[in-house]
Amino acid sequence: MSVASNKLAASPTLKPHKSADIFSKLVKLSPRFLLALLILPVIGGLISVLLPAFGYAPVLEHTTLGLHGFTMLMQTPGLTHMVMLSVGTGLISTLLAFIITLMILAAFFNSPWLNRIQRLLSPILVIPHAAAAIAVGFLIAPSGMISRLVSPWFSGWELAPNGMFPHDSFGISIILGLTLKELPFLLLMALGVLAQPELGKKLRQQHKVALNLGYCPMTAFFKVILPSLYPLLRLPILAVLAYASASVEMPLILGPNTPPTLAVAIMHWFNDVDLNLRIKASAGALLQLVLSGGLLALWLGGEKTIKALFSDLLTNGEREYGGVYWQKITTVLTVFAISFILLSLIGLIMWSVAGFWRFPAALPEQLTLLHFKSALMQMQSPLFNTLAIGLVTTLFAIIITLLCLESEQLSAKPLSRFTSLIIYVPLLVPSIAFLFGLVWLQQLVNNQAAFFNVVFTHLLFVLPYVFLSLASSYRRLDPRFAHVAASLGATPCKVFLHVKLPQLFAPILIAAALGLAISFGQYLPTLLAGGGRIATITTEAVTLANGASRRTSAVYAIMQMALPLIGFILAWVLPKYFFKSAHR
Amino acid sequence: MLANKFWQTLSRYSLCFVAFCICLVISFKSLASTQLQSRWQHVESLGKDQSVYFYAWGGDAQINAYIQWAAQQVKTNYNINLVHVKLSDTSEAVSRVLAEKSANNNDKGSVDLIWINGANFATMSEHSLLLKQWANKLPNFNYTDPSNNPAVNFDFGIPTNGMEAPWGQASLTFYYDSLAIDGTANNTLPTTLNQLLSWSAQNPGRFSYPKPPDFLGMSFLKYALVMLHQQSDDTLKAQLNQPATTQNTAQVLNPLWNFLNKLHPTLWRDGSHFMQSGAQMRRLVGDTELSIAFTFSAPEVPAAVKRYDLPKSIRSYAMQDGSLSNTHFVAIPYNASHAQSAQLVANFLLSPEAQAHKQKPSVWGDKSVLIQSTLSQEQQALFKTVEPHPSALPLNSIKRTLSEPHPSWVNAIMQGWQARFGVSQ
Amino acid sequence: MQSSLEIKNCELYRQHEQLLSLNEQVKGGEILTIMGPSGSGKSSLLNWLTGTLPNGFNASGEVWLNGENINTLPAHLRHIGVLYQDALLFSHLSVSGNIAFAMPKGNKKQRLEKIEHALEQVGLKGMASRHPDNLSGGQQARVALLRMLLSEPKAILLDEPFSKLDTQLRVDTRELVFSQIREHKLPAIMVTHDHSDAEAANGKLITLNLAK
Repeated sequence: MSVASNKLAASPTLKPHKSADIFSKLVKLSPRFLLALLILPVIGGLISVLLPAFGYAPVLEHTTLGLHGFTMLMQTPGLTHMVMLSVGTGLISTLLAFIITLMILAAFFNSPWLNRIQRLLSPILVIPHAAAAIAVGFLIAPSGMISRLVSPWFSGWELAPNGMFPHDSFGISIILGLTLKELPFLLLMALGVLAQPELGKKLRQQHKVALNLGYCPMTAFFKVILPSLYPLLRLPILAVLAYASASVEMPLILGPNTPPTLAVAIMHWFNDVDLNLRIKASAGALLQLVLSGGLLALWLGGEKTIKALFSDLLTNGEREYGGVYWQKITTVLTVFAISFILLSLIGLIMWSVAGFWRFPAALPEQLTLLHFKSALMQMQSPLFNTLAIGLVTTLFAIIITLLCLESEQLSAKPLSRFTSLIIYVPLLVPSIAFLFGLVWLQQLVNNQAAFFNVVFTHLLFVLPYVFLSLASSYRRLDPRFAHVAASLGATPCKVFLHVKLPQLFAPILIAAALGLAISFGQYLPTLLAGGGRIATITTEAVTLANGASRRTSAVYAIMQMALPLIGFILAWVLPKYFFKSAHR
Repeated sequence: MLANKFWQTLSRYSLCFVAFCICLVISFKSLASTQLQSRWQHVESLGKDQSVYFYAWGGDAQINAYIQWAAQQVKTNYNINLVHVKLSDTSEAVSRVLAEKSANNNDKGSVDLIWINGANFATMSEHSLLLKQWANKLPNFNYTDPSNNPAVNFDFGIPTNGMEAPWGQASLTFYYDSLAIDGTANNTLPTTLNQLLSWSAQNPGRFSYPKPPDFLGMSFLKYALVMLHQQSDDTLKAQLNQPATTQNTAQVLNPLWNFLNKLHPTLWRDGSHFMQSGAQMRRLVGDTELSIAFTFSAPEVPAAVKRYDLPKSIRSYAMQDGSLSNTHFVAIPYNASHAQSAQLVANFLLSPEAQAHKQKPSVWGDKSVLIQSTLSQEQQALFKTVEPHPSALPLNSIKRTLSEPHPSWVNAIMQGWQARFGVSQ
Repeated sequence: MQSSLEIKNCELYRQHEQLLSLNEQVKGGEILTIMGPSGSGKSSLLNWLTGTLPNGFNASGEVWLNGENINTLPAHLRHIGVLYQDALLFSHLSVSGNIAFAMPKGNKKQRLEKIEHALEQVGLKGMASRHPDNLSGGQQARVALLRMLLSEPKAILLDEPFSKLDTQLRVDTRELVFSQIREHKLPAIMVTHDHSDAEAANGKLITLNLAK
């Protein structure tokens, strides 16, 4: 027995005896399946947009390739403005979110405040973009919370003033909404990196060393931590940048319409009754692809430039850059950001139960549950759809992810760098560029199964997050448990089901909650793949966002936020009662 | 004597002949009506126990609730599952049917019934996307008195050809915040187009209209266009009912552009930004950013007040110089999966009970297309009205109706508007 | 004026448990050795001296460096150098980058010369542009030492700095560190498990007991 266990202890891999084992076969195929699942729809969608862009659209009896799609596009009035708006709002909001994240990390690195900020901002993470846009819209409108708080005692306004927000033509409202939504995301990503045991410990110790060497905490962060932290943050930042430049919900709800951003304009062209606009829309989708790609390249280039310019700065011995000053500024900024977020949420909640609430009153004249009641009566079908799609998508995503990660361990080879990059593809390619093409393909293949089409499309966006969330926990599993179980005669399948999964109960629940949250918040995929026949809470919320009733859209926005929260509460509570031994 | 006998025989034969003809006619008529009846029974038997996907604008909670009520009724009567697919714009459904036609989906379309009129109807009809000659065969269609009622046979001047069944009628009416327009100097309620212009100049930033091609925004522009041509000579006025061509467009639309050039600098946000929809415009009134707005559905105003979305100080009225009016319809795409079931639903929507329920201000308040004189006593009783809400449009406010111009003018106005005002400078 | 590091009436607590109390003075060039079992608060003492005491610990008492009370100074202004068990070299900088990081501002060329000179002195000639991860344990320890010394500290703390090195390397590195301390006449406090370290330090030895 001891010889056998020595042998097993010596060999780093666990080769199954019967490779004909179904489980092992399944596991072996899963990475390739994952890749196919992620790449093929995106590429297929892009091709299906590429062809019409160059004039090939049998629908409209155009079969000659040509550039008239692009000529039409170039002649669109205000095209330059659209492009500048998309690029500007995307770049500025990402930059702002990134810089503020860094400042918060630097200023509060060793302070207990970092933990508190993390706990405060974590729930914000799961708020879908549509709900966040609605909330921010309420805040900055001329009759919004901010105006009400200063009227009429300070501003003298009895009627809502002539204001600029939202829908200002510079896109400031969009930038505000995007920044407030992406800031918690980047911050929590960075904190997640720092929470990794070895890396986090090493970085904190190096920070301490820098302090001992005379560097003030903020400078120590920028010169010592940031160079090691940034490469791990690069992909999330690029995902944020790609999304921000091609987002549809935010500009739809907060942005101008003379002209709108390019993504919104493309959506309108695709939906227009005049079908010749589809060729223009396809050309526009390609333009959007180029723009987002260009922004990514710009960011990467900027990164290299800054690295080259400032490499000397790292070792020049300058220890103080007005650290106290910057600390104060950061504190003010953090307070601003958090109070903005809190105020919009409070405003949202008040609107959902408000009776008459005439400007400039700071509080509603009466409270009523009428809006919730009437919304809940209308909401049954969308709610059911939202939950059903979310659960099916997340279940599928988790199963594929687990099988892929298991294959990593069974073959003792980590997933190739290629696979790790492909996982990000649906997040980096603007969805407006390939979704229309994908939908057209789905129509060709099967038309009736709208539910399946929506689940499939959601899967593209849920998989990356679920994978990234589970990967670190899975890879940190102590392999010795599996070895011991194998030495006791358990097949890999048994080891997987009875040893690994119970240990992963809590991380699986968290990944599931995350996947559910992502699925709940999808707008464009649901709208397009379902042909508009499948209503979810998010699609209803966006339809109502610019509608006539702030109160109803507030109710929907709150539902949008409540659903993911329930998922996370379950993910937090259940491990305390089930598989308790797995909770270390 | 022989002549007498001859006449007798002749009259006897002619009497018989006449009697025979009468019998023939009666039997043909009953044959036709039994044919019609058996056709309808055929539709009923094919149409029940299925789902109908009704693609209709979903931006108004009241209308959505009415459609839910109708769904319950057809479920009870025919076991039909009516699914309301909420659109933010009808053109989404038109695109869908077109996409399906291009994918050669000719009998399993996802759209069964569509709420439509005007330009969208014109497009679908032009591309042969609609089922033909079914609406005029609905049993309840007779209640609209079709032979005397052009409003149910012409959609913006284009013949319906039985492709769409009438559903309701709408007129452009206005509403305002009585606390913001208090009747003091320079702030009296405008009741004509010109008064609106001068009021807006004296109270800048308190009025606007939704951005074309929004339906309500276009309606305001059409109202303005029709009013601006009230003083024009008859040939020019007649152009409005003719298709827009390259020859007449400039002449007809120039007065509109001149008017807008004067109006825009006085508008909300200086006319550099226009709200996306009528619903948003209503919200801005509730927010006190606007003092005056307009709507095609007058009952939505008191309904909004009851839901707290508009303040109690809102009052409705109709412009004295005329209110643009039109009929809206439901149509069935040529490739609908459940065409018969959709016809059953359309027939129900035309029934007196559905039309009366729809006309109730507390439900939707949309004016019925049924002609009272065709209804029986008890059917007429369904339409009795109750005490109006203070914010509601007073009865008989609409003194003068203006009919819609030819749908091609919509596109002409839109192109011109986009070119002049579409991108803020 | 002679340099000295004074600990006045230090009482260190974890939660509410007292870990140690200390009252010592270390003169420049001398090494105070503190030994004791795990958990007796040795590393926490060093944390308190550098001003990086984590949450959950509190302490009373004063630290006087070269006649000045540095209690109120934040960690980065205390000028106390620390050598840890791990070299903790920054992996985004080269060897010379690590050392240059620690040096005060100055002329670039002069600093480079100083670094080259220092590297030569500890037997690492020509390794200025090497990446820290490519160095052996002993080499890393020497670079860490240079990094600390060239930051011109006013006192030095050693937190079991030789425990990860094997015996011969240990002896050599220890000699190097101690000779530098004596040469620069800096007061030093060393925390260690190893008696031979204490002997080589040749200074006062304090043994802490586990808390009652």
